[in-house]
Amino acid sequence: MTDAAHAGPAVARLRRRIDWLPYAIGAVTIFILVVFLLYPIVKTVMFSFVENGKELAFANLTLINFERFLDGATFTKSLWHSIVVGVLTTIVSTMLALPAAYAMARVPIPFRNFVLALSVIPIIAPPFIGAYSWIILLGRRGIITHYLDIWFGIEMPSLYGLYGIVLALSLHYFPYIFLFVQGALAASDPTIEESADVMGASRWRILRTITFPLVLPTISAGALIVLVKALGNFGVPAILGGEYYVLPTLIYYQVHGYFNLNAASAIALMNVLVTLVAILLLARVNRKRRFVTVTSIARRAKQHTGLGAQIAANAYIWILLVAALLPQFVILFTSFAERWGGTLFPTAYGFGNYITTWEETTTPIINSLILSSAATLMCVVFGTLAAYTAVRKRFKGKWALDMTIMLPFVLPGIVTGVAYLTTFNSGLIVLTGTATILILAYFVRRIAYMYRAVAAAVGQIDEKIEEASTMCGATWGRTMRKVTVPLIAPGIMAGGILVFSTLITEISVTIIIFSARWKTISIAIFEFLTSDDVLEATTIGSIAIMITLLLVFTASKLIGRNMADMFR
Amino acid sequence: MAAHVLAVKELRKVFDTDQGQVLAVDDISFELSGDELFTMLGPSGCGKTTTLRMVAGLETATAGSIFFDGEDFSGFSSFQRNIGMVFQSYALFPHMTVFENTAYGLRVRGMAAADVGGKVGRILDLLGLGDLAKRYPADLSGGQQQRVSIGRALVYDPGMLLLDEPLANLDAKLRVEMREEIRRIQKELGIMSIYVTHDQEEAMSISDRVAVFNLGRLMQAGPPHEVYANPTSLFVADFIGKANFFPARITRSDNSGAKVALASGAELALERLNAIEPEEEAQIAEGFDATVMVRPEHLGIAQAGGGGLPCRVRRIQFLGSTIRYHAECADAAGEVIVDSTRLVGGLEEGSEAVLAMAPADSILYHKGQAR
Repeated sequence: MTDAAHAGPAVARLRRRIDWLPYAIGAVTIFILVVFLLYPIVKTVMFSFVENGKELAFANLTLINFERFLDGATFTKSLWHSIVVGVLTTIVSTMLALPAAYAMARVPIPFRNFVLALSVIPIIAPPFIGAYSWIILLGRRGIITHYLDIWFGIEMPSLYGLYGIVLALSLHYFPYIFLFVQGALAASDPTIEESADVMGASRWRILRTITFPLVLPTISAGALIVLVKALGNFGVPAILGGEYYVLPTLIYYQVHGYFNLNAASAIALMNVLVTLVAILLLARVNRKRRFVTVTSIARRAKQHTGLGAQIAANAYIWILLVAALLPQFVILFTSFAERWGGTLFPTAYGFGNYITTWEETTTPIINSLILSSAATLMCVVFGTLAAYTAVRKRFKGKWALDMTIMLPFVLPGIVTGVAYLTTFNSGLIVLTGTATILILAYFVRRIAYMYRAVAAAVGQIDEKIEEASTMCGATWGRTMRKVTVPLIAPGIMAGGILVFSTLITEISVTIIIFSARWKTISIAIFEFLTSDDVLEATTIGSIAIMITLLLVFTASKLIGRNMADMFR
Repeated sequence: MAAHVLAVKELRKVFDTDQGQVLAVDDISFELSGDELFTMLGPSGCGKTTTLRMVAGLETATAGSIFFDGEDFSGFSSFQRNIGMVFQSYALFPHMTVFENTAYGLRVRGMAAADVGGKVGRILDLLGLGDLAKRYPADLSGGQQQRVSIGRALVYDPGMLLLDEPLANLDAKLRVEMREEIRRIQKELGIMSIYVTHDQEEAMSISDRVAVFNLGRLMQAGPPHEVYANPTSLFVADFIGKANFFPARITRSDNSGAKVALASGAELALERLNAIEPEEEAQIAEGFDATVMVRPEHLGIAQAGGGGLPCRVRRIQFLGSTIRYHAECADAAGEVIVDSTRLVGGLEEGSEAVLAMAPADSILYHKGQAR
C-alpha cells in the first residue's frame, strides 16, 4: 500500500470508480457486428427485391427476382437439387457415422486416439480438391472405374451430378456426427445401461430403448451441422456438379456470368430460407428434453469383447477411414506425378511439380496465410470478448448478441460473399478488391467458432474465482488479463486453430469477393482445376493440406488434447 | 415359496490396470438366506462394491463361485439373473417418466400392458409415488428419485435386491428416514437383500448381519451387536464404533487368561484373548507384544487418588444421554474416550484422573494384526 493511500481519508479508497473498460469493449464489438454483419445482410435482402440495373429505392421494389423460382427452369431445379443434396448427404453421413461411433465407444479398438485423430482429417482438408480426386478414381477414365470394368464388367454411373456430390460430401462431413456421437457414448453414465441390464433387458433391447434414445439429441445436433454445411457447400458441386446446379453454384454463375447481384441476392436469400427451414425442422425433432448423463465414474460402459464383434468393428472403422482419407491420399499421390497424360497411371514420378509450380504457388500461399492470420486475430479478440460477456454478464438483449454471432453459422459462405459484394461494392464504404473485405468476411464467417469454444471454456470456470480477484481490488481488465484469460487460454487456442485452419482453404466466400491482387490458395486450386492443370492443382492442394494438418497437430500437442476433441 | 439361498465361495477379483494388476476382492465367502438384509461395510476401495457387482453379474469373477438356490450364477448373464439393483446414482432413465422407468423391467419380461399398469401402480403406491407417475426424473427431488429407483428394482419380484450405497446422495435427515423405509419395504416383501455402504451407523441400524471389508478381504461378518461386542480384529474394533487401544506386553498367559504390562509398567489381568487362527494363538504368549482394546462405555473414570491408570481430562462433552470424557493417558495409543451415563464428581477439563477397566470387557489382540 502506498503512502498516499495512507495519507488520504479512508473514504477516498471507497470512492466509486466507474470501470469503463467492459463498456468500451462491448461498444466496439457491437459496432463491428452491426456494420460488418447486420448491415450487409439487410442490404442483400433489399437488393433481392430490386430488378437488376435499377436504383435501390422504395418505388423499385419487386418480386421479379423470385419469380424465376416458379417457372420450372434452372432456378426451380437448383432449389430442388439443393434440398435433395442436403437431405441425402445428411442421411448417408448419419448411416456411415453411427455404426462407427458405436463401435468406437463400445468395442475395444486398438490405437483409439490415432483413429480419432485420423477421423478429423476429412473435415479439415479442403473438400473441393478432395472432390476432384474422386474424378481421378471414379470418373469416366478413373482408376477404380477402369478396374471395376475389366475385372467385374461393372459399369459405373457418371460421377457428375447428384451421386458424385453426395458421395464426396458424405465422406467429407460424416466425422462431425461420428465425433459427436462417440463422445456422447463414451461420456455417458454406465450405470444407466447397467440398471437396464440387471432388470433383464438384452443387449439389443438396451440399445433400442436406452442407448439410442439417449444419444438421439446428439445425433440430430451432428446431423444439423452436416445439413447446414451441405446446403452451403460450393466447392464440391462446383467440381462434381456438371449440369447439376445447386443454389451456391447458381449464385456463382449469376455473379461471375452476368454480375447480376440482384438475382444472386434473391438466390442467396432462398438458400438461407432453405437452411433456416432445415434448422427449424431439426429443432422440432430435438425439442424433447436434452438428456445429459455425463458421469464422473471412470468406468466405461460394457464392452463387446467377442472376437466377431471386434473384427467387424475394427474392419468397419478402418474401411470407412480409408474411404474418407482416399481423396487426400490421391491428391498427394498425384502431386508427385510428373507426367500423366492419357494413361491409367502416371508415367513419371518426382518432385518436379513442386519445383515448377513454385512461382505460381508461393503468392497464393502467402496471401492465404496473411488473410487468415488477420481474420483469426480479429476472431480471437472479439470472439473471446463476446463469449465472455454472453456467459458472465446479465443484460437485456443477450439473445440478440447470441443470434448475431451465430447468424453466419447458418449463412452459407457464398451468401456472405454476395452480401459483402452488394454492400461494399458501392455506397458508404467501398472495399471491393482489397484485402480488408476478405479479412472482414472471414471474420464474420468464423467468429461463431471462436465464440462457442470460448463460451464453453468460460462456462467451465467458477465465477467465484473471478469474484475473488475483484474482491482483492483488481479491475475488470486486470482480472481478465491475470485470471480469466490464462484459465481459458486452451479454449481460445483451440478456437483460434480451428478458425485459422478452416480459413486457409476457404472458398465459398472467397470465390465471390477475391481480386487478382489477393488470390488465395483455394482460388489458385480452383483456377488450375477449371483449366485442367490437375498436377499444379494437386501440388498446391497437398501443400495446403500439409500446412493445415501441421497446424492442428501442433496445436493439439500444445494444448495436450486429442485432435478430435478440438472439433467437438 | 421356499426361502432363497445365496452362497458366495472364495470369490476373487483381479483388475488389470495401467499400473499393473490390482487385487480388489481377495477370497471372499459368505452365505445368506430367506429375507436377510446383509450389509457389506468398509472404507472406499475395500472391495465391497466389486463383490456386489460380481453378484449382479456386472463384473466377472477371476476365481470363486456364486450359487443362488443351488444354481451356479456364472452361467447366467446379468440380465438373466432376475436381480433388482439400486445404484448410488439411481441410474434412472432420464428419457422416461416415473411410470415408464418402473414398468421397464416388466415390459422386458413381456408382461401384458394391462397387467403392467396395475403392478406399477401398486409398487408406486407402496413407495408413496402414486401422484408422480407422469413426471420425469429431472423433475423429482433426490429422495423421490431414490424411491423410484427402489420401486423400479422391486416391481418384477426379483430373487434378491442389491443396493449400492443407495443413500450416499441424500442429505443427513432424509438418509435416516430412507434407511428405515428401505428396511420396512424389504421386510414387507420378504426379499433377500445385499446392501453396500461405508456408513457404519447406517449399516448397524438396518442390517440383520454386517460384513466388514478391508483391503479386499472380509474381516468379520455377524449380527451388528455381535460385531460390535466381539470384534475379531483391531481393524473391526476401530472401524465399528469407538475404541480405546493400549499397547501391552504379555507377561504370562494360559487357558484362562493373560497378564500384561502396559507402557507405564502397570499390570492388567485379562480374560478375553482374541485368537482365531493357530498362528495367532502362538503369538498370545509370554514375551509377545499385544494390544488391549476397551470400548468407551466399558472404561471407568474417577478422581485421581484411587487405583487405576493415571490420566488427564482434556475435554468433557455433554451428548445428552451420555457424557463423553476425552483424556490423555501415557499408556494409551492416542486419545482415550470414556462414555459415562452420569457426571463424575470432581472432574473438570484439565483435572487429573484415573482410568479403570474390567477384565471381562477388555479384549487382548496379538500384535501381528494391523490396525
